[in-house]
Amino acid sequence: MAQAGKGRLNYRCPSCFMRDLDIDMFYDKEKKEYYCLRCQYTGTEEDVLKKNEMARFRYRRILDRITDFDNE
Amino acid sequence: MDKDKFILNIIHRPELVPEYAEKITGQGKEEDISREALLTESLDIFKLQQEIAHKNGLKTTIQMTYASLFNEEAVALAKEHHLTYQDEIALSLLGLPCKEFRDKYHTKDFCIWMFSFEDKKSIVNDVFGKFYECFGFYPESTGSYFMDADLINYIKETYPTVKCAVATCWEEGPKAYHTCNNSWYTLMDGGPWNPWIPSKLNSHAPAANEQEDSGIVAIPHLSRDLLACYDGNGSNFGTHPQNVLRGMIYKDDQFPYFFNLVDQYRSLKKYNHGYAYNMMFVGPGWMNKMGRWEAPYELLVKSYEDGMAYYGELKKSGQLDDMTMAEFSDYYREIKTYTEPECALWKDILYGSQKQLFWYCDPFMRACINMDQGGAIVDLRPYAAKLYWPVGIGTKHVQDASYPFLIQEKYRAGYFTHYAGEGTIRSAKLRYKGEEVDLCLCRTKATFTEEGLQRILTLKPVEIEFHGLTVSLQTIFRFEEGSSAIAIERHILSMSDPNASVELDEYMVACYGTTEYPEDMMGITLSCKGQDKEEIIPYEYKCREADVSKGQEAKAELPVIQTSVSLCTDSADTAYIREGYAFSPMFTLGLTKTLKEKEVFASWLKLEKAD
Repeated sequence: MAQAGKGRLNYRCPSCFMRDLDIDMFYDKEKKEYYCLRCQYTGTEEDVLKKNEMARFRYRRILDRITDFDNE
Repeated sequence: MDKDKFILNIIHRPELVPEYAEKITGQGKEEDISREALLTESLDIFKLQQEIAHKNGLKTTIQMTYASLFNEEAVALAKEHHLTYQDEIALSLLGLPCKEFRDKYHTKDFCIWMFSFEDKKSIVNDVFGKFYECFGFYPESTGSYFMDADLINYIKETYPTVKCAVATCWEEGPKAYHTCNNSWYTLMDGGPWNPWIPSKLNSHAPAANEQEDSGIVAIPHLSRDLLACYDGNGSNFGTHPQNVLRGMIYKDDQFPYFFNLVDQYRSLKKYNHGYAYNMMFVGPGWMNKMGRWEAPYELLVKSYEDGMAYYGELKKSGQLDDMTMAEFSDYYREIKTYTEPECALWKDILYGSQKQLFWYCDPFMRACINMDQGGAIVDLRPYAAKLYWPVGIGTKHVQDASYPFLIQEKYRAGYFTHYAGEGTIRSAKLRYKGEEVDLCLCRTKATFTEEGLQRILTLKPVEIEFHGLTVSLQTIFRFEEGSSAIAIERHILSMSDPNASVELDEYMVACYGTTEYPEDMMGITLSCKGQDKEEIIPYEYKCREADVSKGQEAKAELPVIQTSVSLCTDSADTAYIREGYAFSPMFTLGLTKTLKEKEVFASWLKLEKAD
């Protein structure tokens, strides 16, 4: 089995991201999957993107343009 | 002097060997920081950043790095942009790594504050000397992610032209360290979020007077979200478009959060006599062609263009003044007095929680009041001590540059703890017939006003429900400029039974430290004083308590951080102290008072230097 490398983009582990950890993932060409060195996450690019979307759940105002700063 | 301004400092650095780029673009290759491709791309990114700023009519401060001083093209560009766009040519102490630096210092260290003091001086002399060789003058501005007091003092003494420096990155500490898989050692919590004049003894603490004045105006690296950065990874929530991408705070390439952040900073003029400030400083590694994490190069560049375009629009509509760092330094000294505080009533603009924090910073303290916890003080840094805290190799703090806290609700718990012990917080409890309610559970909001030298935070009244009694209570904080104290008033506005009385317990649970981990509490002395008696407990983890009647003061002296903190009043029923124990390495100071309807209890939290 050949060594892993970086994928098309430098994806971070979505599971670690959700616990405020930025960990680059590596890409296993044979299994066609990204995997995390720190935790047990593995997934295809499609799954990574889906989980990244999930990670945004906490940003309830991610698309809101806020202009009122009256703190009353 | 017109104080009604929103000031912007834009800083670019031709890094040539960006901190992140060698690791990222060099993956799978042997390390070579003099790779031609790396140098060329780095300079191209700098050129692009400059072009984007100028295209939007904005001037920049070009912080030359040591590496760039050996590059004729970078030097020529700086000279040309100074002439054409009035950009300032300054000097960064970031970007040290290059072949010349490594050949001389034989190290891969790159953070100026972590070197030994002898090396700091030698590096400063090398870098400033090389700068003079290139430009024929010494710079007026410099900086790094952090600059300790000894470093600032040395630079000011040796190169007196310097009057402005990037000197900290707000709340970049253990949280950033953890986010980077415990491999990024920028431990510098506890500083101001907006510009300040650093004291000669500790660069986090603003100078209280001319004697303490280090001679420079310090600016923070980025303008960071005062709620999101306090709770989460600071590197996601600042006026750094690619940081926002790092936080995944975008959808379909749109990131309104960045503009909301700029606008909330603009709104802070309400609390600071019309003055508001922003700083943008994106290192070239954030715009490299390989992309940065999930964001492709195109999005990295788009985010920078969009961010800069917004600043450009604000300038065109007369709502923003762009300044170089040196210009800003002069302006800041004209509009600010030493003791004038920086205030920020900050609201959540990302998570939809409607939480509200009040941040206060002056030469004696930095404090955070959380309205979502009934106005509890959740972070407190006792700048009154002006604690001398040398950092770098050869000192006790090789990496830890944070200013110690007395209260930090994230690192040492706050109201909520697991099963046992207590967490750091300054709050109050009400008691009635065996029931007890902590104001930490009374969510509210606040408004800000000013009266003379007082900044006043008035919280909306909260209702406290006991069995058979409802109490309406209002809290008012008063920060008297230069007093080194916070006055806290509790007004009993009404009670469902006008003849009832309740017991108010004003308390503060505290400790000291810079990280999540406990420090040794031995050496701390607790005392409480009443009209007729004083009790003292030397801290020995014995879980002891003491109280005195007709209480006037409950106090803790912490020699290890040269700090004395007390709760004072002139009218308490009791003053009390509580020692902690090994599983709860805290101390508690408290005052109690029985109150009836329409009565008010006032107390002061005082901070002093303890010799």
